[in-house]
Amino acid sequence: MLALRELRREPRRFVTAAIVLTLLVVLLLFLGGLLDGLYLGSTGALRAQRANVLVYSADANNSIIRSRIDSPTRARVQHVSGVTDVNGLGITLTGTTVPGQRTLADTAVIGYERAANGVPAPPAEGEAWADRRLETFGVRVGQTLGVGPQKVPVRIKGWVHDTNYLLQGALWVHPATWRTVQATSRPDAAVATATFEVLVVRGTPPAAQLARDIDTATHGTTKTLTKNEAVLSSPGTREQKSTFAGIIDVTFLVVGLVVALFFVLLTIERTALYGVLKAVGAKTSRLLAGLITQALVIGTVAFVVGELVTVGLAAILPAKIPLTLQSSRAVSTYVGVIIAAMLGGSISLRRIVRADPMTAIGASN
Amino acid sequence: MFLALGEIRRARWRFVLLTGAVGLLVFLILFVQALTGALIGQFIGAIDHQSADVVVLSLSARKSLEGSVVAPDAVTKVAQVPGVAAAGPLGEGTFSVRTSGKLRDAVLIGYQPGGPGAPTTLRSGRLAKSRFEAVASSRNASDGFSIGDRVELVRGGRVVTIVGQARDINYSVLPTMFTTFDTYVEARRDANPNASSVWPSAVAVAVAPGASAAAVRDAINRSVPGVEALTRAQAVKESPGVASVSESLGTVVFLCFFVVVVVAGLFFLILTVQKAGALTLLRAIGIGGGALVRSLLIQVVLVVLGGLVVGAALTMAALGASNASLGASLGASQLLQTGAIVLVLATIASLGAIRRVLRIDPIRATIPGAVG
Repeated sequence: MLALRELRREPRRFVTAAIVLTLLVVLLLFLGGLLDGLYLGSTGALRAQRANVLVYSADANNSIIRSRIDSPTRARVQHVSGVTDVNGLGITLTGTTVPGQRTLADTAVIGYERAANGVPAPPAEGEAWADRRLETFGVRVGQTLGVGPQKVPVRIKGWVHDTNYLLQGALWVHPATWRTVQATSRPDAAVATATFEVLVVRGTPPAAQLARDIDTATHGTTKTLTKNEAVLSSPGTREQKSTFAGIIDVTFLVVGLVVALFFVLLTIERTALYGVLKAVGAKTSRLLAGLITQALVIGTVAFVVGELVTVGLAAILPAKIPLTLQSSRAVSTYVGVIIAAMLGGSISLRRIVRADPMTAIGASN
Repeated sequence: MFLALGEIRRARWRFVLLTGAVGLLVFLILFVQALTGALIGQFIGAIDHQSADVVVLSLSARKSLEGSVVAPDAVTKVAQVPGVAAAGPLGEGTFSVRTSGKLRDAVLIGYQPGGPGAPTTLRSGRLAKSRFEAVASSRNASDGFSIGDRVELVRGGRVVTIVGQARDINYSVLPTMFTTFDTYVEARRDANPNASSVWPSAVAVAVAPGASAAAVRDAINRSVPGVEALTRAQAVKESPGVASVSESLGTVVFLCFFVVVVVAGLFFLILTVQKAGALTLLRAIGIGGGALVRSLLIQVVLVVLGGLVVGAALTMAALGASNASLGASLGASQLLQTGAIVLVLATIASLGAIRRVLRIDPIRATIPGAVG
C-alpha cells in the first residue's frame, strides 16, 4: 500500500508528528496513572469487601471514621428479609513503628470479621495481614510492628495486595486488636466492644432495594450505601475522578488537534501529488484511507514509545507520587489516541477532495 | 509585520489549529495550577492562618493534625521549654453538622481564647469568646456559615453560633469553625460517648519575643518525648497530601509546558522548511535575514497570545462551571507569569526555524529548480 510504503521510505516526514504525539501519550498515561493511583490507593479496603451494601450510622454523613453501629442496630439489620451475611468493619488511621526504620509507616488498621476478596480470614489477636504497599516502609513478614502512639504490638503474618485506604497501607487485624489500636490512638473516639464503624452486608435482593429495606428496618438510624456508592464516598474520591477525567478529556482533544495540524501540513505538501494520483485513477476514498492508515501507524508508534517512556518515568518518580500504571488504562488510552488520530487525520479530507487532477497535470507539464 | 500577517491570513486554518492546540495546552496548565493552589489552600488554610508560631503534634501522626492526639500533660511540658511564651491545647475534628437544613461535614478547631491558635484573617464579626461560639470560613458563608447562623452538631444536638468570619481558614477542603477548646471537648464527647477522655490534637505555641520559631521547635523536639514540633510554615508545607498533590500536579504542568514547546517549535520548523523556496526568493530580492526572522517571531508571539486568550477563557469558564465551592480562581499574576513562560519557551523552541531562515542562501534563487 502506498501510504505504508511512504512511511517506510520517508520516515523523517512523520517524525515530528510522532514526537509530539508521544509526549501527549506520556501526558495521558501519567494523568491516567495518577487518577488510578489515587483511586485504587484510596478505595482498596472497600473494593475488597464481599458485600452488596455497607451500613453507616445516619448521622455519620457517609464517613466510615465517624460512623458507629452498635449491636442492637446490627441485630435489626440481621433480621431484614433477604440479608444473608452481616459483618463488622472498623478503620483507624495511624503511624506505625517499623523495626530498624526511623520513619514511621502510614497505616490504616482495619478490624474485620470475615474474609474479603484477597484477604484471608481475620488473624489471631495481635497479628495482621499487611498490604504490600508497606514493603516500601521496610515492613517484612514475621516482624512485630508498634502500631500507634502506644506502639500496640502487631506481628505481620503475610501479605495482601491492593487493599489500602486513603493512601495508607492496610493492616488487616482481628476486631479486638483494632479496638485496642483505636482506643490508644484516639482515646476520644474509643469504640465499645461489639460496636463497629460500619456493617458489611450481603443479601439476595438487588443492592438498592436491600439498602432501602435496611434503613427502613432501623427506622432511619442507618444510612445504607451500595458498595459502589460506598467506594465513591471515600473522602475526595468522586472529586478526584471528575477533575482528572476532565483534564484527560481535554488532553484527548489536544491529541486530535495536533494530529489534525500535522496532517494538514503534510497534505499541503502533497496536494500536487494527490492531483497526479487522482489523474491516474486513484479515488478520494483511497487517498483518505491512506492518510488515516498513516495516522493509525503514527498513533500506534507514539503509543508504544509513550508507554515505554511512562514506565521509565514511573520507575524514577518519588514514591509519594501515587502513580499506578494499569493495563486497562493503557488500552483505553490507546483506543482514545487512535480515535483522536483518525478524527484529526480526517480534517484533511476537504483538501484531498479539492485536489484537482487537471490542475495537477497542468502543473506537472 | 505585513509579511507575517499576510501569511497568517492566507494559511488561516494552519494557524487556527496551532493556536487552538496551544490554547488547550495553556488551558490545561492554568486549570491545573489554579486547582493545585485552591486545593492546597483549602487543605491546610486553617494551619496557615492561625496564630501559633509552632504546632506540636504527636510523633505517630506523621505531621497530620487530623491524625494527631497529644497527652494533656504535653501542654504543660511544652510551656516549660525555653523560648515558649504561651502554649495551649488545640483540638481538631470533623463532625456531621446540620445548617441551612442540610446535613454536611464541618471541621471544628478548638483553641483557648486569648492563647495561640486563633484565626488571623478575621474579616468580619469577632473571635469566639464563650462556649459554642465560632468563627467560620468565609468561603462557606452561603452554605449556612455566615454570621448569626446556627450550626447544629448532629450528635448531641448542641448548636454553635457563628460570630465571625475569617478568610482562607478551611481545613481538609471542608467548612471550618474556630471555637473554644471547651466547645471542641464537649462536641467530641457528644460524638463519642465511649470516649474515656478528650485529648488535644496538638499544642499551639507562641514563641517569646526575640526567639525564633525554628529554635523553639528544635528545643521542644529535644526536650519533650513522643511529639513532633513544626513551625507553622513547615506544618503547612509538610502536611500529608500537600507534597504529593503539588508534586503530582506539578509534573503534569511541566509535561504540558514541554508539549507546548515541542508543538510550537516543530510547527514553525516544518512551516519554514515548506516555504524555504519562497524565503530564498525574498532573500534574493533584497529582504534581509533579520526581517524574515522578525516576521517569524511575530507569528510566534501572535500564536502564543492567541493561545493565552483561548486558554484563559477556557480556564475561567471551566473554573466557573466546575467547582465554585473549591474557590479556585485565575489570578492576573498567574496568567501573566504562565504567559511569559510560554512565550519565552516558544521563542526558544523556534530557534530551529530561525536557524533555518538565517542559513538560506539567496544565490540558490539563481539555480534552476532550486526554489521550486
